[in-house]
Amino acid sequence: MEDNAELESFRRQWREEVAQRTKHTRPAPAQPRPSKPPTAPTSQFPSTRHEASQHEEEHGGAASVDHGEIIHGMGHLNVQPSDEDAFHAPASREEPKSALEHFERAVEKEAEGKLGDSVQHYRKAYRLDSAVDKTYRNKYFAAAWKKPAQAPTSGGTTGKPADQQSKDETPMLPTPELIASFAHLPIPQAEPLIENTPPPPCPISHVPSEVLVEIFRHVALMDPATLCRMALVCKRFAYHFAHEQHIWRRLCQGSEFGFKSMHYSFACDLHGNPEYTLATRYTPFPQAVPVQIPEPFSSWSEVFQVFPRIRYTGIYISTVNYTRPGAAAAYQNVSWNSPIHIVTYYRYLRFYPDGSVVYLLTTVEPRDVVPHISKENVKAARATTQKQHPRHTSDAAGAAEATDPIPHVALEALRHAHRGRWRLTKPVSDSDSSSEDAQSEVPSAYESLPDKAAASQSDPRDLIIETEGVGPKYMYLLQLSLRSTPVGKSNHPNVSPPNPSKNTKLAWKGYWSYNKLTDDWAEFGLKNDRSFVFRRVRGWGMH
Amino acid sequence: MSVPTLTFQSNDGVEITVARDVAERSVLIKNMLGDLGDTDEAIPIPNVNEAVLRKVIEWCEHHKGDPPNTGDDDDSRRKTTDIDEWDQKFMQVDQEMLFEIILAANYLDIKGLLDVGCKTVANMIKGKSPEEIRKTFNIQNDFTPEEEDQIRRENEWAEDR
Repeated sequence: MEDNAELESFRRQWREEVAQRTKHTRPAPAQPRPSKPPTAPTSQFPSTRHEASQHEEEHGGAASVDHGEIIHGMGHLNVQPSDEDAFHAPASREEPKSALEHFERAVEKEAEGKLGDSVQHYRKAYRLDSAVDKTYRNKYFAAAWKKPAQAPTSGGTTGKPADQQSKDETPMLPTPELIASFAHLPIPQAEPLIENTPPPPCPISHVPSEVLVEIFRHVALMDPATLCRMALVCKRFAYHFAHEQHIWRRLCQGSEFGFKSMHYSFACDLHGNPEYTLATRYTPFPQAVPVQIPEPFSSWSEVFQVFPRIRYTGIYISTVNYTRPGAAAAYQNVSWNSPIHIVTYYRYLRFYPDGSVVYLLTTVEPRDVVPHISKENVKAARATTQKQHPRHTSDAAGAAEATDPIPHVALEALRHAHRGRWRLTKPVSDSDSSSEDAQSEVPSAYESLPDKAAASQSDPRDLIIETEGVGPKYMYLLQLSLRSTPVGKSNHPNVSPPNPSKNTKLAWKGYWSYNKLTDDWAEFGLKNDRSFVFRRVRGWGMH
Repeated sequence: MSVPTLTFQSNDGVEITVARDVAERSVLIKNMLGDLGDTDEAIPIPNVNEAVLRKVIEWCEHHKGDPPNTGDDDDSRRKTTDIDEWDQKFMQVDQEMLFEIILAANYLDIKGLLDVGCKTVANMIKGKSPEEIRKTFNIQNDFTPEEEDQIRRENEWAEDR
C-alpha cells in the first residue's frame, strides 16, 4: 500500500514536471500572472483580444488547472481571521501590476464599497487583458465549475485534486457522527523537531477530560470565538466542543455573552444614565431556576447560535452607496459623459451591556473611526467642542491632543454621534405575557408610538433603539430586526454548507423622529438604507 | 501541640508536615479525615511528587483564610478572567509544572486552585488561532484536511463575524 502511494505521488510529480516543460514559457503556477499577457502567446497572437487567444488562455488554464494556485487562492479568502478585527489601516500595499491583480483589487474595493477606486482598477485590468474575468474565475471559482468537465480528462493531466482522492477512499461521515468518533482519542503529541530526539513535552495530553472541560469552560466565558477555534486544534477538542452542552447553557444564561445581558425593556435613559426599577428584569434563561431548552431547539449551543442576541464584541455597520447624476460642465459644448456622483456613507451602532448604545452617521470610513467609537470618546469629543468655543481655543486643543490619542478625523465624526438606549422585544408571545410583565417595563415617556412600530411588536427579533436627535427637543426611534446572512447552497453533496453566524445583521423596519415639544412623529425615508452588518473589533466586550 | 498538624508523603517518598486547617483546603483530605478520624501516620499522596506537593501546600497556606467556595457560577462571583496578583505570580511556572499542579488540585479536590490553574491555561489559549494553540501546547493536528474543513464549517457560526 505504502509503496503504491509513494509510486503514485512520484508519478504525479513526474507528470507535473513533463506538463510544465511542454508548456515551456508558461509561468510557474503559484506566481501571479505577469503584467502583460504571457510572452509566448503574444509573439504568436499579436492581439490578445482575439477570440483565439482567449481560447488559448482558457485551454491553458484547464490543462494545467493548478490546484496549488486555487487552494492558495482559497487560502487567501479565508485564513487569518484573527487579523480581520484589527481595523487598522492596511500596511502600505504594493500597487497591483498584472491584470489579475488589478481585477482582484477591484473586487476588493467593490466589496468595501469604494466604487470609484473599484471602477478604476477594473478598467486597468481589462485594458491589460480583456479576458481577465475568465482568469479570475479560473483562480477563485474553478473548484465550483471545472470539476465535472475535468473528470474525463483527468487521466491525461495531473490527476484529481488531493481531497477528491481521499474522498474516494473514505466516504465522509456526517458531521455529528464524525465528531462522535473522536470521543476517546488521545490528544496527539507534536513530533520532535529533530529526529530521534525526545518530542517536546505535551503535558496537556495527560489531563483528564473533566479538567479539559473545565479549561474549555473558562475559555468560553472569555471568548466563545476562541472556543470555536479550539475545536480545530485536534479531534479530541472538537468532540468536547460539540458535546459539553453545560458550557453552552452557562454561556446562554450568563451575562458575559449570553442572554442575561440582553435587555427586553429599556435599562437607561437616552443619555445612558441607568434607570432603576424594583421589578425583576426579565431574562429568558434565569440561573436560579432550572431551565428548559426552548421549543424549536435541540441543544444549548443551538440556542446560543440562533436565539436573538446582540453582540458587544464589535460594531454594526451599515454602508450606504448611492449614485446621483451630476451636471456636466457648462462650457464644454460636447459632453462625452455626464458625471455621476457616488456617495458613500456609514451608520455605526455600538451596543453596551448596560442598555446604552452609540449611534453614528458619518462619511468617515470604518478603519478611521471604528476603533474609537465608544461612549467615553463621544463624551470627550463633545467636551472639546465646548472648550473650543471660548477664547483659549489653542490651549484647549493642545491639551486635548496631549492627553487624547483620538485622531482628529475620528474626533470630528464622534462629535456628531448620538447616545441612546436599546431593547429587544420580549420573546414570549403576547398571550403568555401577564399584566405583571407589562408593569415591569420601564414606562416610555413617549406613549404615542407611531402606528407601524406598535403594530409589529410581536417578532422577538425586533430591536428598538431610541437616540438623541439633532437638538434636545428631538428623539429618534429606530426599529430594526435581527437577520442572518442567507446561506448559499453548496454544490457538493459531501460538503456541508457553510454555517455562518446567525443574527448578525440588522435590517431596517422603520426610522422616526419625535418632537418632544409638539408630540409629533415624523418618519424618515429609508430609500438608501442598507442593513447593518456585524464586525468584530479586537478587544471589545471581552472578559 | 498548639496547631494540629498532618504529615503527607509524596510519591517520591518525602514527608511534609502541614497545619491541619491548611491541609483541609483539600476536600479529599478533609473527607478522609472525617471518615477515618485523626491519624499520626504520614498520608501517602500517590500521584504527586515533592516539588508539586510543596507548591500545592504553598497555595493552600496563602489561601487558608479564604471563605469556603459556594458553588460556582453565580454572577456575584468575580469575572472569570480575574486572577489575583499573588495567584498570577504563583502560576508563573513552566507548562509541565502548571499541568502537574492542575492534576494535583483535581486529585486532591482543591476547587480554588483548580480554578486558578484552568484560568491560567485558558488565558494562554485566549485569542489564539488553532495553529497557535497547537504550538503553545505541542499538540499535533490529527485532522485530515477534509475533516478539518468539515469541522470549520460546522463551527463557523461561533466565530461571530
